[in-house]
Amino acid sequence: MQTSRIKLSVLHIFLAILCLANILPILWMIGSSFKSEEEFSINPMGLPKQWDFSNYSKAWKVAHLGTYFWNSIFVTIAAILLTVFLGALASYFISRFDFKGSKWVYGLFLIGMTIPIHATLVPIFILMKKLGLLNTHLSLVLPYTAFHLSITIFILVGFMKSFPKDIEESAIIDGGGAYRIFWSIILPMTRPALATVVIINFIYNWNEFLFALVLISKTGLKTLPLGLANFAGTETKFQTMQMAALTMALLPLLAFYLLLEKQLVQGMTAGAVKG
Amino acid sequence: MHALKKTGWTVFFGMLPALIIYIGIALVPIGMSFYYSFFNWDGLSPMKFTGLDNYLSTLKDAVFWKGVQNNLFMMATGIFGQLPIGLFFALLLNRSLKGIKGYRSMLFLPVVISAVIVSIIWGMVFKIESGLLNGLLDLVGLGAWKQDWLGSPKLGMFSVSLTYIWQNYGFYMVIFLAALQNIPEEIKEAAVMDGATGLKRFWFVTLPMLKETIWVTLIFAISNSFRVFDLIYVMTAGGPAHNTEVMTIYMYNNAFQNMNFGYGSAVSMLILLFSLIAIYAANLITRRSR
Repeated sequence: MQTSRIKLSVLHIFLAILCLANILPILWMIGSSFKSEEEFSINPMGLPKQWDFSNYSKAWKVAHLGTYFWNSIFVTIAAILLTVFLGALASYFISRFDFKGSKWVYGLFLIGMTIPIHATLVPIFILMKKLGLLNTHLSLVLPYTAFHLSITIFILVGFMKSFPKDIEESAIIDGGGAYRIFWSIILPMTRPALATVVIINFIYNWNEFLFALVLISKTGLKTLPLGLANFAGTETKFQTMQMAALTMALLPLLAFYLLLEKQLVQGMTAGAVKG
Repeated sequence: MHALKKTGWTVFFGMLPALIIYIGIALVPIGMSFYYSFFNWDGLSPMKFTGLDNYLSTLKDAVFWKGVQNNLFMMATGIFGQLPIGLFFALLLNRSLKGIKGYRSMLFLPVVISAVIVSIIWGMVFKIESGLLNGLLDLVGLGAWKQDWLGSPKLGMFSVSLTYIWQNYGFYMVIFLAALQNIPEEIKEAAVMDGATGLKRFWFVTLPMLKETIWVTLIFAISNSFRVFDLIYVMTAGGPAHNTEVMTIYMYNNAFQNMNFGYGSAVSMLILLFSLIAIYAANLITRRSR
């Protein structure tokens, strides 16, 4: 359709204003993080008159950011590896094998997308307590895996089903077993879907808060969201230092988002678009 | 499917680890919650069967009903705030335009940020002194409108839901955008040939094509609104004086602050029940138009 040039520039201006307004809270936070507490209390709105970087070194120490980053990275990666490996294996059998109840098993996994986490919180807490896992990284890795197997399997099964049926034939003639076919043929072919699945698992695990809140109480084991929530609750007087801490926590995610936006958006909305 | 025979055990052992973790940690706990909900239990002393007591005292608690009311408010915010705003931006972005990707990135960004960070940022935006919102009001000469946005009994939920909209409309925008791009060209062209323009075309051509998508987003908006926790826990913790409390906060406080696991489980079952009722009601209301 033809849109006149004037209309087009009006649309651009309109969109640009809305988009900037949308991320204004983030810009304001980043800008203010370079102000001293005194300057911020006098001049909370404008750009910093004196760029003060000391908030960053202070926040890094006071907020234990290094510890929280490490915990988040460890838990996130461990959960991704477990989820994607087990999910891919299950998807392979669901999509490539005819066995009794294969549809039923698939359906069972899909139910997981509708389960609200809070309805499982008390039993999971009790379970972890009984297993002696409270305040361990594993207590987070297990629920993260359990709750994200569903979307992982949903995406991977959809992808693996599209492969032609005779793919495995030649491998079988060569005498390859089911696991070798999985490892050397199916898994490499699934790479694009695996990327999507890794990316959305990353974002979900990285941002998760409720399980961490209930299962972790030791400062040394807290993940980034939990640590930041505590920090913000205790250091209320030091606003610009908080902003510096938040900015540091936000930056890796921002980079991740800008690099992998397409797959991220596709993956996060996969359940709604296809389902 | 293919010539791999005698695969029964192979399949079984291949799926076993995933099934154990999934069933043991995601499915069984739902049943356990249901079971615990009939007991009085602090996690240490022996469990005491109390029948429906937990449910009855929950339903008698005014704070719980305040939570229900606030959840309904969040649900309405989702349906009448997030969905229309998401659709609005999807319509704006549904054209070939230079820089469209950049716009979309900025609008979707809040969706990927952790709710904790979002809540802390917005907590600062809403601050009375040196908050962004009050500062903006001062700048445009509306200083008289300055508020204690999160603390005021009247505006507390409004402020919380503003953040809720901000964080989530981008999700619906992308879903609507995908649906809009799936509308076949012939239908758009036919509509133009028939002289349908602007609002008319949106109302009679575009909107009916989106029915299925609207239904899906509606279900998402409803079930997500009953799950809201991080946002409110970090911004207000349900306060002041339970003013912004939602059911999940109430459940968390009872189970993990008061260590009343039976009671907390009963509340979590009620949340599940209420969200199912809401979805069922939405189904009834929209059935005729679908």
